Order: sequence, then structure tokens, then C-alpha cells
Amino acid sequence: MSRVARLLLRLFPESFRNRYGNEVMTTLAASASEARDRGWMAAVRFHVLVMVDLGAAAFRCRSRQLVAAFERRIGVGPPRLPAPAKRTAMDTFLGDVRYALRQLIRRPGFAAIAIFSLGLAIGANSLIYGLLDGLVLRPFPYPDPDRLVAVGVSFPKVSADTNYIETLSPAEYLDIRTVRSFSHVASYDLGNRNIVGGDAPERVFTALVLDDLFPVVGLPPALGRGFTREELAPGGAPVAVISHRLWQSRFGGDPGMLNRPVRISGRAVSIVGVMPPGLLVIGTDLWLPWGGDPLQMARNIRQFNVLARLAPGASLSQANAELATLARQVEQAHKGRFAEYDNWRLTATPWAAALLRDVRPAGFILLGAVGLVLLIACANLTNLFLARSSTRQRELAVRLALGAGRWRVTRVLLIESLLLSLGGAALGLAIAWVGLRSADALIPSQFQSLGLAAALNVRVLAWSLLLAVTAGVLVGVVPAVQAIRTDPHESLRADVRSGGSRAGRRIRQMFVVAELALSVVLLIGAGLLLRTFFNVQRVDRGFDARDLLTMRLTLPRDKYPGESANVFFGQLADRIAALPGVRTVAMTSQFAPRESAQTQFRLERGPSADRDTLPAAVVTVASPTYFETLAVPMRAGRAIGFADRLDTPLVAVVNETFVARHVKEADPIGQRLALGSPTRERPWRTIVGVVADYKNDGLTEPVRPAIYTPVTQQTDWNQLFVLVRSDVAASSLIPLVRRTVTALDPDQPVYFVQTMEQALSAATFQQRASALLLAIFASVALVLAAVGTYGVMSYAVSMRTQEMGVRLAVGARPRDVMTLVLGQVLRLVAIGLAIGIGLVMAAGRAVEGVLFGVRAADPATIGIVASVLAAVALLAAWVPAARAARVDPIQALRVE
Amino acid sequence: MPRTKALSAPVLHIMLALADGARHGYAIKQEVESRTDGAIRLGPGTLYEAIQRLEESGLIEESVPAGDAANGQEAQRRYYRLTTRGWTALRQELRSLGRLVDLARENPRLRKGLA
Repeated sequence: MSRVARLLLRLFPESFRNRYGNEVMTTLAASASEARDRGWMAAVRFHVLVMVDLGAAAFRCRSRQLVAAFERRIGVGPPRLPAPAKRTAMDTFLGDVRYALRQLIRRPGFAAIAIFSLGLAIGANSLIYGLLDGLVLRPFPYPDPDRLVAVGVSFPKVSADTNYIETLSPAEYLDIRTVRSFSHVASYDLGNRNIVGGDAPERVFTALVLDDLFPVVGLPPALGRGFTREELAPGGAPVAVISHRLWQSRFGGDPGMLNRPVRISGRAVSIVGVMPPGLLVIGTDLWLPWGGDPLQMARNIRQFNVLARLAPGASLSQANAELATLARQVEQAHKGRFAEYDNWRLTATPWAAALLRDVRPAGFILLGAVGLVLLIACANLTNLFLARSSTRQRELAVRLALGAGRWRVTRVLLIESLLLSLGGAALGLAIAWVGLRSADALIPSQFQSLGLAAALNVRVLAWSLLLAVTAGVLVGVVPAVQAIRTDPHESLRADVRSGGSRAGRRIRQMFVVAELALSVVLLIGAGLLLRTFFNVQRVDRGFDARDLLTMRLTLPRDKYPGESANVFFGQLADRIAALPGVRTVAMTSQFAPRESAQTQFRLERGPSADRDTLPAAVVTVASPTYFETLAVPMRAGRAIGFADRLDTPLVAVVNETFVARHVKEADPIGQRLALGSPTRERPWRTIVGVVADYKNDGLTEPVRPAIYTPVTQQTDWNQLFVLVRSDVAASSLIPLVRRTVTALDPDQPVYFVQTMEQALSAATFQQRASALLLAIFASVALVLAAVGTYGVMSYAVSMRTQEMGVRLAVGARPRDVMTLVLGQVLRLVAIGLAIGIGLVMAAGRAVEGVLFGVRAADPATIGIVASVLAAVALLAAWVPAARAARVDPIQALRVE
Repeated sequence: MPRTKALSAPVLHIMLALADGARHGYAIKQEVESRTDGAIRLGPGTLYEAIQRLEESGLIEESVPAGDAANGQEAQRRYYRLTTRGWTALRQELRSLGRLVDLARENPRLRKGLA
């Protein structure tokens, strides 16, 4: 025995062992001999009790030590009895904190459940807020990011889309510079430059700036300076500013390299500035003055991007109104020469939104979803608190009876809930930290190349803290109000057995119903999004996305005028086609599954119509191998051919939807159509073939009528996508293809290099991420609701022990009692379901925008959710129900 | 409202046992058990954990044993007695318990058992 006791003694803190160890052993020996005298049964009992006693005391001793250490750490010092004579408000407050802490530590299970559920909920919130912060709200490190705008343009003649990248000409930029709502405006062209210096020459993604970009983004260089007016003017001194990343990787972060000449694409350039860390402007690393004369450039050579900062006091809508007026003036002045100005629009959009417009709605839906999870966790905790406060009624009543103010009692309860929620916030931040680190896998590569990343930062921290305090107050306020409304005499007198009042029970049931209803909303939401995601995956795209590489090239018009762009693209296609593993190469102005550029057209034998009623179709300029590369079959006639040249008759290919909608029964082959509005005489094109339909307006929209014209029968297009179909993994070709482009023209940048599968996965990123995250959150909500149901039911059962006893005594079978309890749970589930479904219906319209192939009122989803919820709730209530059924009637009745 | 946390049952009983005079640990245990007719049994762990707590908060202190016991095994043992502070705290606690009982007496259903 004494050996076991000595072992158990080791559980105590050393200080205790040193001081009391021998005493404990002596006392033990004396008691043991006493116990032995009473027989072996007593001796065995004694030994068991001693072991339990030593273990429990050691635990108490250790936890007291921990609390004392913690209290010393937070500066309240160990409790001293009796209390100091004079107490300041701060002392009282700290005293209350200490009291609350002790209350919580005395019920570690309660505190653990509370912190765990709040931690889960706050963690989910912090995670989503962190993602939103990193990807949507403050994706770039600019000050006042909402006031930094990109100017986008849409030419309704060409496409319904508004484009922000490489869409404006220098002349148009000069027009935009007159807008008074902008305090700073700058424009840049994107390109690649060779930088020499350091180990080896390197191709660097470069922005060629027209006017100083840095005041616009609002960041001064971290080292050195930006560009001067003279340097920016045509023929200015050759200078450059580089990114922090490039400075580190190429120049080892050496501040001495400033103002020393470096060779950039053959010119000696001195580097005058280094930008602060973080990528600026679409992931470029090098900024050079563009150096051309905007006035010498044609109006329709559009390869520039325009960034502007709103002037102090100017609003985005003011800027847009000014831009609209400007667009009309330009239209009046230049429509004669440039038909695309007809109804053109200029739009200023916050920079982040312009680049990342697809992620926003899903982000905010998810933020709403995690908000619901937090509400559920709060409802849960309020319930736990209520259940506990009814058992604490007497303690509180004693405190009130002994003269504590009502505010004081309330405050202690509030402090308790705040301490719990702060604990939850700490756990939540840990969860969010882990989550954000693994979230990188969810972020599509095209975003990562912009330098986007989600991380735990001050704003996420502040957000979590705000949520924690809000949750703490929310959770604490109902029990606190209930506590101070209680009459101390009443509750001291009250019969223990009756437990909470009828009203109290109602409130608790209400909270469970609310939890169940909110879980229903989340579960149905997750179910609908999952179905949407699977539906999108299952869509018949009509083309083959495997082993297909896509990229975009924009040839500078000054370097490749007229037909020379086609010559370049032709050579490039030949060279890429010769690479090992490549099957076909195609050039196109746009590609599946999103071909957005639309143009009006007129069929020779179609109904005559004026400008406003002419139909429009998707018009894609494509090379002869486009359909073959996408693996789309021809239905009639022939594809675009290599023989279709500038000097042969103009031809076009249409898709099946085009035939069905516009040609009807007649044979489409040989019919003629003209593209563009009929205000001018347009050349007729002969339809030579019909191609099978494939998705051309996104995966979730019906196929639109489409017309394809040969790239070799035009000279307007200097910006084309290159598609490469291969027998090997598409991504393995990327370096080879890049090298091929560089070999043809070392200055030619390639953008948006991605495999078709990456492009598709980026297109379904929103559905994938939101379905996945919402499913996770719905599961968390379900677990919380189950815990809540369990808590309320076991409390209700313990309060009704007597009743159950009576029932059993008068002949009810245990099964009947279980049915009774479980029936009650089912009633709560039914009410929760009804409310939850009602909420989904009410929000249906708002939700349906993100759904595909499934309606908000989807019977299958609702059915599954109802059965899952019922099953989980019944499971949660099973233990209390079984306990109720096992009540011993005699015991239950004797309690009174 | 009491300015301090209520004393736990073992602590209160230990203090009551010491109110008769200084005792060592095993004697405290025996005294408490006999006072409560064995209803409260203090295991050695609980006993010394409570003693440590009381010592740390200055409610009891070690005392020199009475002269006649100062030999043999008894001399090895530590004796404890209430401090002035301990007396104050004990009185205060008993007063507030008394008030509590008074309050409870106002309940007619409880009065019978408490009379």
C-alpha cells in the first residue's frame, strides 16, 4: 500500500511533497491499521478510497497552483483571506474577474464545452474573414484600397463584357486624365524585359508606365525614389524601379545597388527605387517609363491599363458620371473613324473588385454562413448558462440576500461569459491560423500569381476580438437578466426539485429550436451548393478539356503592324506544333467555355431589320485548327481552312444553335451573312460549315449562337489566345512553349498561362470553395445543435425524474417513457425544420443566383436535411431518454 | 455579501477542530470524524491539501506541541493552530451561515427541521 501511496504522492507538486509528504504517510499508516482492525472488506474499501482521495487532492492542488500562477501572471495575486481593508473600483473588478475565473475552473467541463463551441464558431468566422480580407477586402497592400480604381472599358459593338486589362489606348488615357474626380491617374503597358546583373540574365514581368504609378497606388518606394516628370517624358533618362522581391532575389537586398547602372534589355538603366514588400500591380517586378509619345499612337491601339485614385471628397459614382460624359464626348468626336465608340462605356471599379470580381458574392455568403454558426454557438451557450444559472440560483440568491447589488451579480455573470468567449477567441484564432495556412490550396493559381495570400493579421485579430466580445455579451445577457429578476426569497424558498420555472424551460426550448432552425438553413445551403457543384462538374461541355494548354499574347502594334501579327502567330503555331508531344495548336480571339465577344449580324436571306433589332451572335476569330484542338466535331460542311486567306472569298462557320435559331429549316451551307451594324456597307461572308455546339457562355448557361471567322482573313487582331493540345500533360509543356515565344521575340510577354483544367477549376473555384466550406460549417452547426439538444433534453429529463418515476410506477413501460422523451425532441426538430425551411424559402431568390440545376426548394435536399437533422437530434436525445427510462420509481419518489 | 469565498466543508471542519486547540493532522482527522459521527471522512490527501491551503492563506499556522508530548514519535509531527486571521474568518463564516439558516427558517416548509 505504502508503495502505491508513495507513487500517488508524486502526483502532488514538489513543494507539497516536501512539506507534507511524511505527514501524509504517517496519517495513512495510522488510518490503515485502524481500517485493518475492522476486517478485510473495510481494508479494501479504505485502500480504494485513499487512492481516489490522493488522486483528487493532487488534482486540486495542481489546479490551485496553476490558477495561482495564472493569477500572478495577470496581476491579481493569490487570494488572501480576509480581503484588504480598502477596495478601489479596480480591485472590485479584478476581484470579480478572479471570482468568475474560479467559478469557471470549478466546472472545467462546462468551461471546456463553452470554449470549444465558441472556439469552433469564432475560428470559422476568423477564417472566412481572413480569406475575405486577403482576397477581397484588402488583397493588395495599398493604402485606402477602396479609392484606388481601375478604369475599364466596354464596347457593346464587340462584347458585353467590361475589360480592365490591356484595353485602352494612350489617346484614351489622355482623355481619362482630364476627369476631375481623380487626383492621380497613371497608365501602364505590360511586358517582359531582360535584366542583367547578378548571376544570369532573367526575364522579368514588367510594367511600362505612362505617368508616375506610385502616387496612384499610394505607396512611395521603400528605398530611393519614384520617377520624375523628365524621366517619364519621351526620351527621358533611362531609369527603373524594382520590386522588393526582385531586389532580394537578384541584388541580395543590397542598398548600394541604387543608382548604379544595370543592363535591362540591352540598355544601361539606373535603378532609382525599390518598392516595399508585397507585389504591386498584377505581379510585376520591374517598372520602367514607357518612353513613347501618347499623341503619336493611334486611338485604336489598345494595350494599356489605367489606374486612378479618387480625389479627396470625390465619390466613385461622381467619377463614373464624369467618365460617362467623357465617353459621349469621345463618341461624338471620333465615331466617324472608330465605329466601336458607338455607345462605348468607361467604368471605374475599385481595383480589387475589378481583378477579383468573381469571388465576392461567395465570400459574403460564406461570411453570412459563419455568422449563423456563431449565432448557433451563442444560442447553445446561452442555454448552458441558463441551465447552470438555475442551479446557481441559490448561490446568486445568497449573494443578493447578503447585500450584493444586482449590478454586481450581473457583472460577475457577464464577466464569466466574456472570459469564456475570450477563451473561445483564442482557440478560434488558433483554428483560423491553421485554416488560413492550408487555405492556400483553395486559392486558384491565377490569384496567387497576383501575390494574393490570406494570413492572420491585425484586422482578423480585431474582428475575432469584436466577435468574441459580442458573443460574450449576447451569451451573458439573458442569464444575467434572469438572475437579477429573481427574488432571493423566492429562490431560497423554492423547491429544489421543480428546478427552473415553466418560463425558463420555454426559453431554453426556444433556443434549441432556434439552433435547429439555423442548422437547417446551413444544411440546406450546403446541400444546394454541393448539388450545384456536382451539376456544374457533370455539365456536358461539348469540348475536351484534358491536356490543353492556354495562354495569351498581345503583340505591340507599333512592332507588328497589319499582316505581320498574323505572320508572327503563324510562325509561333508552326514552332509550337513541332515541339515533342504537341498534337495541334490553335489561335483564337477567345475560347471555350466563355466566348463573350458578341457582334450584331445580318443574314442575306434573313428578315430585314434595322440597327436596333438585328440579332447578335458570339463572334470568334479562330485559326483553322481551333475546332480540332478543342475536339469539337463538324456537323456539316467544312471547318475554317488554311486556304482561307485575305485574297480568297470571306467565309464563316456557325454552330448548331445558330442554325436552329436563325436559319431554321433551310440549308445553312452557302448562305451569306454580314457582321457588324448595317450603318455601313459590310462585306458578305459565306457560311461553309456547321460545328457542333459546345459551352461558350460559361458552363452554367445555355449555348449561344456563334459565328467563327478565319484569323487569316483579318488584320485587326493583335491579341490572341494560343491553345495547345498535347499527348503529354499540358503543364509539362509550359517552359517549352515559353522558350519558343522568347526565341521568336525576346521582348514578347506571355500571360494567363494555364491548362484548360486549371482554367475550368478557377471558373468553378467559387462553387467548389463555397460548397466545401459551407459543408464544413453546416457540420459544425449540426454538432453544436446536437450538443444543445443533448443539454436541454438531459436537463429536462433530470427535472422530470419524479414524473417519470410516477409514470413507471403506475405501469408505463420504459419504452413508453423513451417514446415520450424522443417525441418531445421530434417536436422541437419539426418546429426547427419548419422555421429553417421557411427562412430558406424567404431567402430563396437571393440564393438562386449562385445555384445551378437545382432550385432553393429542392425536395430531395430538404428531405435529406430533415432526416439527417431528425437522426442527429434523436441520437443526441437518446442518452437522456434512456436515462429517463431507467429511472427507479422508488428512488424517484423517495427524493421528495 | 461575504468578502471572501465561502469556506469548503473540509476546511470548515478542520478549522472547527482546531478551535479547541492545536492538533496534528491525524488528530484533526479523528476529531472531525468523531464530531460528525463518521459522516465526513478526510482522506490523507484531502486533509493535507486543505491544510496547505489554510496555511497559505494564513488562517492556520504550525505551533509548538505541548511539552509533555515532545518526545518519541509525537515529536516528529507538526501541530497546527488557528491564527488571529483564522479566528476572524471562522467567526465571519459561521455568522453568515447563521444568517443563511435564519433566512431558511422563514420558509414554513423548512422551519420544522431547523427549529
